[in-house]
This record gives sequence, C-alpha cells and structure tokens, in this order.
Amino acid sequence: MKADSMIEIQNISYAYEGEEEGVKLAPVIRDFSLDIKRGEFLAILGHNGSGKSTLTRLCNAMAVPDSGKVFVEGMDTADPALEYDIREKVGVVMQNPDNQIVATIVEEDVAFGPENLGVEPAEIRRRVDDALKRVGMYEYRSQEPHKLSGGQKQRVAIAGVIAMRTDCIILDEPTAMLDPQGRQEVMKTIKELNRDMGITVVLITHYMDEAVQADRVAVMDEGRLVLLGTPQEVFSHRQELYRCGLDIPQSAKLTDRLRQMGIPLSGSILTPADFISAFRAYEEGRR
Amino acid sequence: MIKDITIGQYFPGKSFIHRLDARTKLILVLALLVIIFLCQNFFSLALIFVFSLFCVLLSRIPLKTMMKGLKAIVFVVILTAILQIFYNESGDILWQWRAVKITTGGVSMAIFIAVRIVCLIFISSLLTYTTSPTLLTDGIERLLKPLRLIHIEPHTLAMMMTIALRFIPTLIEEVDHIMSAQKARGADMETGNVIKRAKALIPILIPLFVNSFRRAYDLAYAMECRCYRGGDGRTRMRVMKFSWRDGVAFVISAALLAGVILLNHFFEAVL
Repeated sequence: MKADSMIEIQNISYAYEGEEEGVKLAPVIRDFSLDIKRGEFLAILGHNGSGKSTLTRLCNAMAVPDSGKVFVEGMDTADPALEYDIREKVGVVMQNPDNQIVATIVEEDVAFGPENLGVEPAEIRRRVDDALKRVGMYEYRSQEPHKLSGGQKQRVAIAGVIAMRTDCIILDEPTAMLDPQGRQEVMKTIKELNRDMGITVVLITHYMDEAVQADRVAVMDEGRLVLLGTPQEVFSHRQELYRCGLDIPQSAKLTDRLRQMGIPLSGSILTPADFISAFRAYEEGRR
Repeated sequence: MIKDITIGQYFPGKSFIHRLDARTKLILVLALLVIIFLCQNFFSLALIFVFSLFCVLLSRIPLKTMMKGLKAIVFVVILTAILQIFYNESGDILWQWRAVKITTGGVSMAIFIAVRIVCLIFISSLLTYTTSPTLLTDGIERLLKPLRLIHIEPHTLAMMMTIALRFIPTLIEEVDHIMSAQKARGADMETGNVIKRAKALIPILIPLFVNSFRRAYDLAYAMECRCYRGGDGRTRMRVMKFSWRDGVAFVISAALLAGVILLNHFFEAVL
C-alpha cells in the first residue's frame, strides 16, 4: 500500500447477480484500477450505466469485487470484519436528498451517523454543531427536513457524513436533482470540505462544469477507466470523450467554435473565468 | 385536506409541560386516561375537567388549536350524546312522545359522556402537541425496554416509527405530484359514485407503492452507509433525564387520582 493513497482499487471486476442464484450478469466493472490519493478532489465522469454508482458500492464495502482488491486506508473491503471500519472512513452522499435523511429534525439526522458509531452524547452534540456550521445549515438545525430546499437537504446529508469524521466522502451525482442554485450551494460546500478540512472528495457527476473544478478527472465507460488526468489533460481528448457519450465544458466548446472561426484564443480554457481572461487578452492584443 | 389534521402535530415551546421528560408524559397520559374512566359522578368529572383545562393553559397551547383538534371528532361527541339522551330511561321524564322519552337521567348522562370525551381528547393531544416526535419515539423505546425479555426489539419499533413519521410529509407531497400527473393524463378523480372514485385511486396507489419501495431500498442503503446496525452499541445525542418537574407532575397526578377516588366515594354515582 502506498502511503498517500486513500482508496486503492486494483484490477477489479464486478458483476451483479441475476435472477437465478449463482448466475452473474454481464460485468459492470471490468479490469478497473485507480488510486485515489489522500486529500485530493477527484471527479469521476461517465454516462448512465457506465458503472459509476457500482464503483461507489465497491469503495465502501457495500459490494465486494469478483476479482481484484479494493483497499481503503490499507483495509481490504473483502474482509467482513472491517466492513464498518471502512464505512466509518468513507462516507457516501446519494443523488436523492429525500431518500437519505432518516430523522424528523435536521440536527437529529446529522447525529444519526455518530450515534451509530457509539460516540458519547456530548461529543455528538459538538460534532453535529460543527458539521452544520461547516455546511452553513446551523440556523436550520431544528427544522424539519421536508421544509428545506433540495440544495439545503443535500448539505444536511453532507453534514451527516462530516459528523462521522470520515476521511473520504463519495458523492454520487449529488446535484442531479437540484436546481442551478442548489447545485452551486452544494459545489461550494464540497470544495470547502476538500480545501479547509482536507477531506478526500470523490465527486461522481455527469456535469462537465463540475468536473472541471476537480484536481483530477477520471472518465469511465462500460466499467473501464478510459481517461485519467488533470481536467486540462482529460478535456483535451475531445474525440475520446464524445465516444463515451460525454461532452466538454461549455466554455471549452465556445472556445473551439471561436477558434474554428479564426479567433485565436490562447491557453487551455475550461471554465467561464478562463474564457473571460483569455478573451480579454485577445482583445488587448488586437488593440 | 390531509394537511389539516392536527392530531400528532408538534408545537415547539418551553412550557412546564414541554419540558417534562417524554417518558413521564407517556406514563402520565396513560394514567390520566384511566383516571378519566374512573370518574363516576359530576364532582370527580369536574375535577378532571378543570385539571385538563389547567394543563392546556400550562402548556401555553392556544385554546383555539385545541378546539381545532376537537373539531374532527365533534360528530362522535354529538352522536354519543344523542344516543344517551334517547336510550337512557332513568330519572324523571322531561318530555315524551309515544315511546320516545327524554329523561333527566338521559340528559345528565349525555353531558357526562360528552365532557369525558373532551377531557380524553385534551389530555391525549397534549402529549403530541408538546413532545417532539423524536423524543416521543425515544421515550417509547426506553419504556418498552422490558419487551426485550420476550425477544421483541423496542429499538426496531422506535426506528420504524421515526421513519414513518419522517416520510409522511414526503409521501403526501408525492401523492400530490402523482395526482397532478394522472390528471394531466386525463384521469378523473372527482366525479362518479363511490366505487368509481375508489377505482380512480388505483393509478395513484400503484406508482406510490412502487416509489415507496424504491425509497425504502435507497434509505436502507443510506442507513448502512452511515454504519447503522441496529440498536446495540448505539448512543443518542439527547440524553433523557428526569428532573424535579417530573417529580412534581407525578405527585400532582397521584393527588388527582386520590381526589377522584374520594369524590367517587362521597357522592352518588351517575353511571
């Protein structure tokens, strides 16, 4: 095991069991290797059915690979005795905010994880308050979850993971069901977690504009790892991305069009901010 | 319509009653319901009635809210009162028409029972009005601990109640969505006789059930991800502690019971 790795995925394959017992369906993860480094912000891209969500289950010991190994901080996910130790390290936030909130009051829900871990009541209180402040939901602590907006619910779910003091958090399309404002709230929260608390973040998404904000991007297609690298590297492989049913960020697309029209914008452009500065530079140069 | 139901609602507050331990409230409410049924004459009933009103005032829940809760069962109260008037034939006859007669016994019985029902409703709705659902389920869990002796896990029961309470608003919202979706497809839910309307519910119930199973699956997954593994070794954020308030509440209730028994003893029974 490498010292700086959070989750080490070594050559895994995985297939779900079919209707009949013992009969496996076509594999959803094939020959997949990935080393998720401690403290990094990794985005995993892939279209529907590319095996992204299955990968989540394999990383927190909810599923065990058919072949190959997954190590979480050196712990083998195939070892049943380590199941809960692994889940204590790797928290998961799912797509639908409604289906992952257990309690009737916000703070009670955030307390759910630490309560399961058997943490002392006073310590739970501290963790819950701290976690809610981190995600900016402290004022809503005694609200009922169904009165919150989607983005707020998702932040409560994130607080629930932080309160468990996990080292890594996997977010499985956390913004898919949110409106643009909710999406922004959640992205801001995720980035703060990564930057301020040093939590390893794995963001599974199909929004290119979200993936651009990560340190590294991994692209999956049919259960295989197709591309891996910095956003600049990955988004320069346009053909490859299109073939996987994916797109490139809007700003990059616009840049491409402009370049085709003969407007030579320089540098690699992935975000609106990149675009604006490149365009300014171009304008200055013309003058 | 579903949103108008006040029974089971919680009104946050800081009154004496709000601050009582959930376990105290559960035990005392059960005890009070028994005490209400022990009353045999108007004197003991009056004592209980005054006590119920006193509790309502103490909880600082507006009387208007309490009345709203009564509205739902006002029909039941009136019906039982009317039945009592006509079926009870003791005492002097006040009014008679052929076989139908109204007697003093009937009238006093009707009033007696109506007041008793009002007391029952006041006391039992105070429990949910002043106790947060979480504390209530926690209280039930702790009170039912002895059930473990016969291998029933109170924690599981409490968790089921919590989840049910948590998902009621979500499911109500979902019913609204499904109804709109089906109406948009031309479903007719408002006209026709009872059978027709009952049939019209099927296209609402089926998606609701399918979605509920999906939700249940997701929720179970989310709970496992958060290291849930039943009640063993689980701690709680809120610690339940009995305080002097609970002692006072128990003493007052005991005094009330004694008062009712004494009044029953010294005055003639109505029943």
